[in-house]
Amino acid sequence: MKQTENTGPAIELNRLTKRFGDFTAVDGFSLTVRSGEIFGLLGPNGSGKTTIINMISGLSKPTSGEAKVLGHNIIHDTRVVYAALGSVPQETALYEELDAWTNLSIHATLYGVHRSERDRKITDMLNLVQLYERRHSRVSSFSGGMKRRLALARALLHDPLLLYLDEPTLGVDVQSRRAIWNYILDLKKKEGKTVLLTTNYLEEANALCDRIAIIDHGKLVALGTPIDLKRRYGDTVMEIETASSVSPQLSAKLSILPGVSEVIQKDKILKVTMSGDELSLTGQLITLVTQEINIKKISQREPNLEEIFLSLTGSGLRD
Amino acid sequence: MNILNIYPAYRSLLVIWVMAIKDIRSSLTERAFMVTSIIIPINFLLLFLLFALTGGQAPTAIVLEDKGPYAQQFLSAMEHSHSFIIQQTTNTDAQNLMKKGQIVAIVTVPGSFDSLLRQGKQAQLRVVLNNLEVDFTNDIRRAVPLAITSFYANAFPNQVVIRAHEVDTYSHDTGYVQYLVVSLMVVSVMLGGLLQAGSNAAREYEKGTIKELMLAPASLWAIQIGKILGALLLNSLSVVVMIIVIVFLIGVWPEHWDELFAFVLLLMITFVALGSLIGTLVRRRQAVIPLSIGLSIPVFFISGAFGPAIWGDQVTATITQLQPVYYGIAIFQHAFHNFTTTSTSPAINGFILAGFAAVIVAISALTLINGRGRGVVH
Ligand SMILES: Nc1ncnc2c1ncn2[C@@H]1O[C@H](COP(=O)(O)OP(=O)(O)OP(=O)(O)O)[C@@H](O)[C@H]1O
Ligand SMILES: [Mg+2]
Repeated sequence: MKQTENTGPAIELNRLTKRFGDFTAVDGFSLTVRSGEIFGLLGPNGSGKTTIINMISGLSKPTSGEAKVLGHNIIHDTRVVYAALGSVPQETALYEELDAWTNLSIHATLYGVHRSERDRKITDMLNLVQLYERRHSRVSSFSGGMKRRLALARALLHDPLLLYLDEPTLGVDVQSRRAIWNYILDLKKKEGKTVLLTTNYLEEANALCDRIAIIDHGKLVALGTPIDLKRRYGDTVMEIETASSVSPQLSAKLSILPGVSEVIQKDKILKVTMSGDELSLTGQLITLVTQEINIKKISQREPNLEEIFLSLTGSGLRD
Repeated sequence: MNILNIYPAYRSLLVIWVMAIKDIRSSLTERAFMVTSIIIPINFLLLFLLFALTGGQAPTAIVLEDKGPYAQQFLSAMEHSHSFIIQQTTNTDAQNLMKKGQIVAIVTVPGSFDSLLRQGKQAQLRVVLNNLEVDFTNDIRRAVPLAITSFYANAFPNQVVIRAHEVDTYSHDTGYVQYLVVSLMVVSVMLGGLLQAGSNAAREYEKGTIKELMLAPASLWAIQIGKILGALLLNSLSVVVMIIVIVFLIGVWPEHWDELFAFVLLLMITFVALGSLIGTLVRRRQAVIPLSIGLSIPVFFISGAFGPAIWGDQVTATITQLQPVYYGIAIFQHAFHNFTTTSTSPAINGFILAGFAAVIVAISALTLINGRGRGVVH
C-alpha cells in the first residue's frame, strides 16, 4: 500500500534557514535525501538537527528557504505529506495517562487506519517493540526506553512511506537498540521506505545509514556514505614492525609520499598515518619498506567516524 | 486499501469521537480535574451566594423625608429585597446609628420624591455608606439598584422592561437570592467550561502531544470539535450538580425546563469553545486557570447579574450586549422566573447565543489550524 507514488527525491532542502532572534540555528542548509535510503543527520548537541526535522515536518516555519517532502511543499500540501509520514520526535510525547493500546488506537483513527486492519496492526507493532504484554498498562508506568519504543511503534503504525526518527534509540537499552536497528534496516530492505534519522551515536549512523550529513552550527560540514567520509576525512594508521630500525632516509622518503600525513619512528616500530584508506598507498608503503628491510608484522587501524566527527566539529563541549 | 479512501465525513466523525473520548479519559485520570472542573464552579456559585446572603443582614437606616405613596412603595421594595435589615428613622437618629457603627448605610428618600416621579422626572436617592465595612457596602451598592428595579416594577408596571408574569410573584417571591442564583449559575457554567476546555487544550501543548495531532493527516476542525465535545461532556457533570444545587438545595424551581436544557447546552458550547480557544492560545494550564477566573468575574458584574444590565449606565449597557453572558443571564432568568430582562425576546436571545457559540467554535478551530504548517514549536 503506497500512499503517494513517489519517484523523485524523498526530501529536498533548498537553502533552508531558521533564525531565533539574532541566532541562526540552521544556516542555508541544502540537502537531497533519495527515496529508499536511510539518511543520517549527525551533529553535536545544538547543531540544528531537531530544528531541521521540525521545519520539514511543518512544525516550525523556516525563516527562509524551501523544503519539499515527497515532491510536495510541506506548507501547502500538509495533509498529503502527513498521510505518508511517520515521525518520532526527540521528546517522547505520548498520552501517558492512557494505556499503550489506546495510544496506538487513537493514532490509528487520526491516520485513518481502517477498522478491519487496526487491531492486527496494533498487535504487530506492539509485538515488534516487545510491549504487547504491557498493552493495558498506563504509559506513565513505562520506563524511558519503553516509551521510546512505543513512540516508534506509533510512528510505524500507519505504514508510512517516509520516516523521521529524531534520535530513535535515545535511552534505549542495548538489546532493544539492536532490535530497532534491525527493524529500521528491514524497513528499507523489505519495504523500500525512506528513513531520515538524527543521532549522536556514531556507531548507529555507521550501522544504519546509507549516507550521512555531518552538521555543525546549522551548516552542512560533510556529506557522503560512511565509507566515503572515512576515506575523505579519516586517518588510517599503519604500524610496521621491522627486523631492525629503518634508516632516517627511508623515513623521510615515506613522509613525502602523497597521502601520508605523518611518519613516526621508534626503535623497530614505524608508525605511518595516512589520510583516507587508499589501498594503493598501503601497497606502495610496504614495497618501499621491504626494499630496505624485512617486515615482521603489520597492523592497520581503520579510520573511524568518531575521529572524523571530532576533527570536523571540534572537541569542545556543546550546549 | 488506501488510507485516505475512507469516506472523509465518516473519518472526521470518528476523529471527533475519538478525541472526545480521549480527553474525557485523560481528564478523569487527573485528580486535579475534580477540583478545577467541578469544585471551582460550584464553589463559585455557593461562595457568591453566601456573600450575597451576608449582604442580606446589612443593617440599613431608611429616612423617609417624603411620606407619599411612591415613597412608601419604595420602602416596601427595600424591605422585600432580602438584602437589608431596614430601620426607618429620622435623619438625626440615622447619623447617630452610623456614628456608633450600628448601621452600614443610610438611604434617604428626598422630600420631593413623589412629586418628581409624578412629573416623570428623575429622583435622587441619597445613599450614605460606611466604607469601613467593605463587604457590606459592596452588597449595598448592588442591592439598592435591585430594590429600585423592584420598586419600578410595582409602581410603574408599564414603563418597566422587566415584566414579571405576575407582579406580585416577582416582588414577593423572587428576591435578591432567587435572581442572583440564576445569574451566578450562568457565570459558573462559564467558569466551568473555560477551565475544562482550557485545560484540555493546554495539556496537549504542555505534554508535547500537540505534535502528534498536528502531524496527523486528520482534519483539525474535527480534532478541535472533538476536544470541544469532550470538554462539553465533562462540563455537563458540573452543570448537572449545579442544577441540582439550585433546584433542590436553594429551591429555585425553573418555570421552563425545556428552555433551561436547551439554553444551558448553548451556553456550555459557547464557553467550552472559548475555553479551548484560550487553552490553544496560552498553552499552559497554569495560565488557563487565572485567565478563566479573571474573565468570568468582571463579565459577571457587567452582565446584569444583580439586576437587569440595561438599567446600568449607557457604556456598560452597550458593552455588555456584545458578550454572551448578558444573553445567557437573560435567557436563564426567563427559563427560571419567566422574566424578560432584555429588550430582545428569549427566542432572539437564543439565536444570538447560538451565533456566539458557532462563531467561537469556528475561531477556536481556526486558531488550531493556523498553527499547522507554521509553528507549533516556533
Ligand atoms: N524555540 C527555540 N528558540 C530559541 N532557540 C532555539 C529554539 N529551538 C532551538 N533553538 C536553538 O537552536 C539550536 C539548535 O537546536 P536543535 O534542537 O536543532 O539542536 P540539535 O542538533 O537537535 O541538538 P541535540 O543533539 O541536543 O538534540 C540550539 O542552539 C538551540 O538552543
Ligand atoms: Mg535534537
